[in-house]
Amino acid sequence: MTASTAEPVARASVPVKLLGIVLAGAAVSVALGVYGRVHDPTGEKPYTLFFSDTINFKVWFATAAVFLAAVQVLLALRLYGKVHIPRTSPPWLGDAHRLTGIVAFGLTLPVAYQCLWALGFQSTDTRVLFHSLLGCFFFGVFTIKVLAVRTHGLPSWLLPIVGGTVFATLVLIWLTSAVWFWREFGFPSF
Amino acid sequence: MSFKRLVNVVEVVAGVAALVFIIALFANQPSGGGAASAAKSGPGYDVYVSNCARCHGQEGQGGIGPQLAGQVTTDFPDAKEEEAFVRAGRDGMPSFAGQLSPTEIQDVVAYTRTELNK
Repeated sequence: MTASTAEPVARASVPVKLLGIVLAGAAVSVALGVYGRVHDPTGEKPYTLFFSDTINFKVWFATAAVFLAAVQVLLALRLYGKVHIPRTSPPWLGDAHRLTGIVAFGLTLPVAYQCLWALGFQSTDTRVLFHSLLGCFFFGVFTIKVLAVRTHGLPSWLLPIVGGTVFATLVLIWLTSAVWFWREFGFPSF
Repeated sequence: MSFKRLVNVVEVVAGVAALVFIIALFANQPSGGGAASAAKSGPGYDVYVSNCARCHGQEGQGGIGPQLAGQVTTDFPDAKEEEAFVRAGRDGMPSFAGQLSPTEIQDVVAYTRTELNK
């Protein structure tokens, strides 16, 4: 009797974990969207780092983040055995996968900060609205991925799907910002 | 230091950086004068604050978009030219034809050429 009552509880824990993780990600996305909408955009350039202008730094940082994210996806494909180059998987591959993801995330932070603080959530045209929505969604789904990595007992299909979604979202954000900028204004200087 | 440990350190640094940026979103105040903005009012001002200030700055000092204060009447000697620019958009500035009514565009252009241009 005891075993039969304990079993459903154990099975139910996975959906509960999933729900908790998804709700946490959704909360991050919504919080960013609300901040971007409620906060008065300053229209200022808080920093340019070592670039000649804020927009140049944003374009290059976003591009570097996408590049590292692409490397991370390739490393994940090797970890999951979907590609076989190199033939023998080196022991540091998992850590390299983590490192590229962390650095890519770190590169998105100053860009996202400038977007939120100086520009806010905008809907002046389709591209801008799409970019604003994707920006909020990205950090939500990134939160889901981080929590999913650290939560045991989740289905094995979850991480590839969430990781792929994070990557696809980042690429779309990049297409609606950095690539758009290249097409409108030409390749940016440093 | 092993590679794994290095990755752990970088992860902690990224986590702290994320926290710092979140705090800065609320703590960092714009350098533009809020008091001067508060003194201004009118329909053109309201349209400007809602639609233009995020790129051109609260005081028209420029930001992501170019400076307007002290500059806009030089760039657009005729107000009709400026209104057409706002309607159509160009060089990275979006079109506001679908966002603002003709009256709102006239109001905001008048505001940029008078109070903001002082």
